[in-house]
Amino acid sequence: MSDATIATVSERTQVRLSNKSHATLTQMKEDGYLAEMTDGYRLGIALALSMGITPGELPAENRNFIAVSTLDPTGELATAIRMLVNLEGQGVYGYAERLADWGIKEMQERFKGGFLDVASLMSNTAEKVS
Amino acid sequence: MLVFGDNMRGKTSLLNALRWVFYGKALGRHSREIALFDLVNSEATLEGDWSMEVVVTFEDDGHRYELRRTAAKRSLVSTPSRSEDLLVERSMRKDDIALGDHLIDAEINRFAPEQTSRFFLFDGELLDEYEQLLIDGSDQSKLIKEAIEQVLGVPNLIRGRDDAQTILKAAQKQQTADLQKIGGFESQAEKQRHYQAQIESIEKDIKGQGERLRKVNTDREELDDDLAKVEAFYQAKQKLDDAASTRDKSANRQDDLHQVRLGYVRDAWKEVLRPLLTLKREHIQDEYSKFTSQMLDRDKVETKIAQLQQAVRSETCHACGQPLHEKERIAASKELGKLQADLLGFKVDMTLFSQHSTDLQSLNKLLKPTDSRQIMLIDNEVNRLSVELTTLDNQIEELNELIKGQDTAEISRKRFMRDGLIKQAAHIAGEINSSQVKLIGHQRDLAVISKILEGLPTARAAKSSRLVNLAAALERVYGRSIDQLRDDLKTTVEMLASRAFRKLTTQSQYSGLRINGNYGLTILDERGQEVPIRSAGAEQIVALSLIDGLAHAGRSAGPVVMDTPFGRLDKKHRANILAYLPTTTTQLILFVHEGEVDKATDLVHLKSRVDSVYEIKEVNLRHSRIERVNQ
Repeated sequence: MSDATIATVSERTQVRLSNKSHATLTQMKEDGYLAEMTDGYRLGIALALSMGITPGELPAENRNFIAVSTLDPTGELATAIRMLVNLEGQGVYGYAERLADWGIKEMQERFKGGFLDVASLMSNTAEKVS
Repeated sequence: MLVFGDNMRGKTSLLNALRWVFYGKALGRHSREIALFDLVNSEATLEGDWSMEVVVTFEDDGHRYELRRTAAKRSLVSTPSRSEDLLVERSMRKDDIALGDHLIDAEINRFAPEQTSRFFLFDGELLDEYEQLLIDGSDQSKLIKEAIEQVLGVPNLIRGRDDAQTILKAAQKQQTADLQKIGGFESQAEKQRHYQAQIESIEKDIKGQGERLRKVNTDREELDDDLAKVEAFYQAKQKLDDAASTRDKSANRQDDLHQVRLGYVRDAWKEVLRPLLTLKREHIQDEYSKFTSQMLDRDKVETKIAQLQQAVRSETCHACGQPLHEKERIAASKELGKLQADLLGFKVDMTLFSQHSTDLQSLNKLLKPTDSRQIMLIDNEVNRLSVELTTLDNQIEELNELIKGQDTAEISRKRFMRDGLIKQAAHIAGEINSSQVKLIGHQRDLAVISKILEGLPTARAAKSSRLVNLAAALERVYGRSIDQLRDDLKTTVEMLASRAFRKLTTQSQYSGLRINGNYGLTILDERGQEVPIRSAGAEQIVALSLIDGLAHAGRSAGPVVMDTPFGRLDKKHRANILAYLPTTTTQLILFVHEGEVDKATDLVHLKSRVDSVYEIKEVNLRHSRIERVNQ
């Protein structure tokens, strides 16, 4: 995607999260599996991307989560999304928040509120690709 | 006679009953006397019965004896609380005629003198003490050496020498007093008095130091006994502390790893995407390479077109510079037209090429290695630590249960105190040695003065000087006699113990035993060379040989009672002992447990030698009953 295309899209300055996923991340932090909730947010995005998901819209019950500049200060997250997804004119962070919400729900489904097995997320992707 | 009894059934109490009826004392650990108050059946005392009685009947030299000793509450005492509250009485009948109390000791000493009783009322648990005799200079060996010499009669001579020394000292004092009255000897008298005062002072010091040493050793032995009872708890506490410390370390390590892991989770998203991004990079890299290749091909065509255009225009070969013939010029024109047509087919999208280049740079940055891969290793280590922690928690719980109710701090305090007493004993022993060195020095100085005075006619004439000479000579005679008696006794004990050893050992190449200054024995091989290393079983055989040698050196053959004598011996040694001991005693009574003598196998071989077999059976924890076993 060219810089010109990127420039035409109106980007978010804040990313959002459904209330349910927010509660999941809060619990993960309280349980000591995450140092920061943003770490879980990024993991959610990565998990959804690795599974090739096309995420739906955020549920109506959602909230602002964090500033884009805090979530992705170097822009690497946006780059990774652009590399792997044809955004077709959508804002990268708008897409990112839908990926994150899906991914966090998937983590909750897999680990049922227990140990956040990050190693299994990594190895699953590697197996899938190979 | 064989008396079987498991541990804690009362075999040693039976031995003590015999000791008590003969000598009025019972011995506990470290050969310490057990207080009379502690001998009375504690369960009976709860019902108000404080009486205790032992009766033994025996024969000696054709006479029949009955010896009885009783203990009972004194009439004015309602509930005894100490040994003094009990009254002990004894009586002896010889051929059914009662003997006066003053004759009883004399009768006992004829056939079973108390001094030698440790050799015929023998506690197998004390065998270890005899093994200490081989360690020259150990405290234990000194004590046992004294005990051995006690039974062999050496103390009589030692007491004689001590008496001579006392007379000598008194005479030297008198000599000093006499010399002061004789003109010209004041200075010698003053020196003599000085040394006498010094000697008296040092002797007093040595006595005090000896008492302190005995007190320290007694305290240490008591602590040893206390600690032996709680050793298992102390070991458990040590294990508990170790387990708790290991648990803390593991838990801390787990916490540290957890923190490191949290840091690695931050970049874990990149690792989740790494396989896909790597594929993407490979794809873009392929596209990029195609672009590059196309651009190179176009460059080549453009160069060739330029060369052909130049050749057609100048009619000269661009390679060799020769003029082109018409045929060649036409061919070049044809090729030029073909290449110009090919050039039209090259379409390179430079915008896309540039995008690929930018994407590759971004992907290379994204795919830089992170530490997040180590999360797997950390998780494995954390899991391992979790298993370890569970094991340790279980161990800690078990150990806590084991030491529940035990004052482990008190046990540690006692251990420290015991260690302190050991150091203190060594320190006092050092003080005694140094006092003795000083004493010998002053005694020599005093002897020198006495020798000088001997040569002076005026002094020699004094009565006190003559007494000094006499007492000094007497002391020398006693001293030499002690050395002579010790040497003779050692030779006798060595000979008797060697005889016993050859009968008891299973090693035919052992020729005998050699005795050392402490009455310790070393095994000799067939060449008469000392055998430096021996097994625990051999130690016991040597100790038993020494006991046998001492028993026969000190008295004629008589009955022997042995409590648990076979502790570490194998079958062959046990058989040798069972075959030999009855030949050197008039009656042998063995208190054994089934680990020492097997009722099923050993008894069959012994049948001809065993007159009667008894068994101490448990009634309950505090009650045992002795029953005769039918053979």
